[in-house]
Amino acid sequence: MPLVRRDIARPTTASADEAAARDALRSADPDMRWNAARALGADPASVASLAAALSTEPVPRVREAIMTALMRIGNEESVKALLPYLREQDAARRGAAIEALQALPDVTAPFLSALLQDADSDVRILAVELVRTMPAAEATRLLCEVLAHEPHPNVCASAVDALAEVGTRDALPALEACARRFADTPFLPFAISIAVARISDGKG
Amino acid sequence: MTRSGEEDRAAYVSPEDVRRLCEFLYRRTGMLFAEDKRYYIDRRLHERIAATGAQSFQAYFALLRSGLDSEVEHLVNAFTINETYFFREDHQLRCMTSDLLDAVIRTKRPGDPIRIWSVPCSTGEEPYSIAIWLMENFPDVDNYQIEIVGSDIDTRALAAAADGVYGARALMKLSPALIARYFESASADGHRIDAGLRDSIQFTEVNLIDARAMAQHGRFDIIFCRNVLIYFDDASRRAAAENLFDCLHPGGFICLGHSETMSRISSLFRVCRYPDAIVYQRPETERDHD
Repeated sequence: MPLVRRDIARPTTASADEAAARDALRSADPDMRWNAARALGADPASVASLAAALSTEPVPRVREAIMTALMRIGNEESVKALLPYLREQDAARRGAAIEALQALPDVTAPFLSALLQDADSDVRILAVELVRTMPAAEATRLLCEVLAHEPHPNVCASAVDALAEVGTRDALPALEACARRFADTPFLPFAISIAVARISDGKG
Repeated sequence: MTRSGEEDRAAYVSPEDVRRLCEFLYRRTGMLFAEDKRYYIDRRLHERIAATGAQSFQAYFALLRSGLDSEVEHLVNAFTINETYFFREDHQLRCMTSDLLDAVIRTKRPGDPIRIWSVPCSTGEEPYSIAIWLMENFPDVDNYQIEIVGSDIDTRALAAAADGVYGARALMKLSPALIARYFESASADGHRIDAGLRDSIQFTEVNLIDARAMAQHGRFDIIFCRNVLIYFDDASRRAAAENLFDCLHPGGFICLGHSETMSRISSLFRVCRYPDAIVYQRPETERDHD
């Protein structure tokens, strides 16, 4: 028989030493930082250490593990640690933060109103992406507010795109009003006409 | 069928109770059961309440949280799905012998170990399928020390895997010749994997999101992790993916279920498109910096 069988050690039962893992987040060895980040995903007291490590971590694999640990902890502090990355110039880091925040809709929700009114239109566009994954009724309400007040056509276009996917019929008046408000920006009324048709044809 | 008022009170489980139970299960295992699975949850929960003799959900939940009587293990066993069969999604087995092992043995010398992990392995159909497939289709099977490990969170399934007795449904994709070669009759409607094959596979308990328990298994050349990540939420899926990455040799491969894609879970792996299957590979080298 060419198959061999070797015994595998049973997992030890010693509790993880979170303090040591937090120290290891500052190690020069990326494997130690990687293991440390993965060991801290159940420790809410480690959010500050994880957030600090995330801001300086150069290795993508370790950065992903830190993001995962923050997602697993999933509290308000985790969200606060992730939000600054919406302003990150690097697209991969920005995208990773969006994915992590989308996985924490309930904890992220209280921050959305402020994000949707951020001075930076790019941040407002990303905030619309966070709204996209929320329950349809709440997403529709928030996106309609965007359509009513948002001055930047690209942010409105993102909201229209999200509504085409998740919006309910409650969005139709706001969409039509937005089309009138941006009548001089032809692509937007066109996008809105598609969203209106989709919502009207659907069960929303 | 009617039930007495006393029985109804004893068995009553509110939506809030279900939510608390699901939260508990999620924290312990990473498995996520949504409200739309309410019927599935209720049925198994009532079975466990009855089996433990608890008088109410509250009493049962207290027992569960106390960690007494291995009730967490019993509950996890009740909530896991163990239906599978031999040579399920055999295009991935074909891919293993057509392409993956060619890549693996380029890094090996004759006599070196090749380690293959089936996780979760449920009641053993997958690791035994891997073994049979290798014996039948891998010409170099005698030139390497091939180690197959089957792991699962469900200890009841692991006991069945080690026992290795299967009914006709599990064997439906095997030819009579293969059944004759690798099984012996155990009962009127059951066949047992032959002792040599049974003893060559190591079965272990493991939780995919437990980094330390996963790491205890060492590194593998190929991992089959099929049709389980769909039950996890985003955070647990990513944690599991990172643990699986850690358990692969650089250049090692992971096969997921047909409805699963690693690209939507983690950016750690490289997508490999082979004629028989799409699999994911731990890169040989990693980017140390952006």
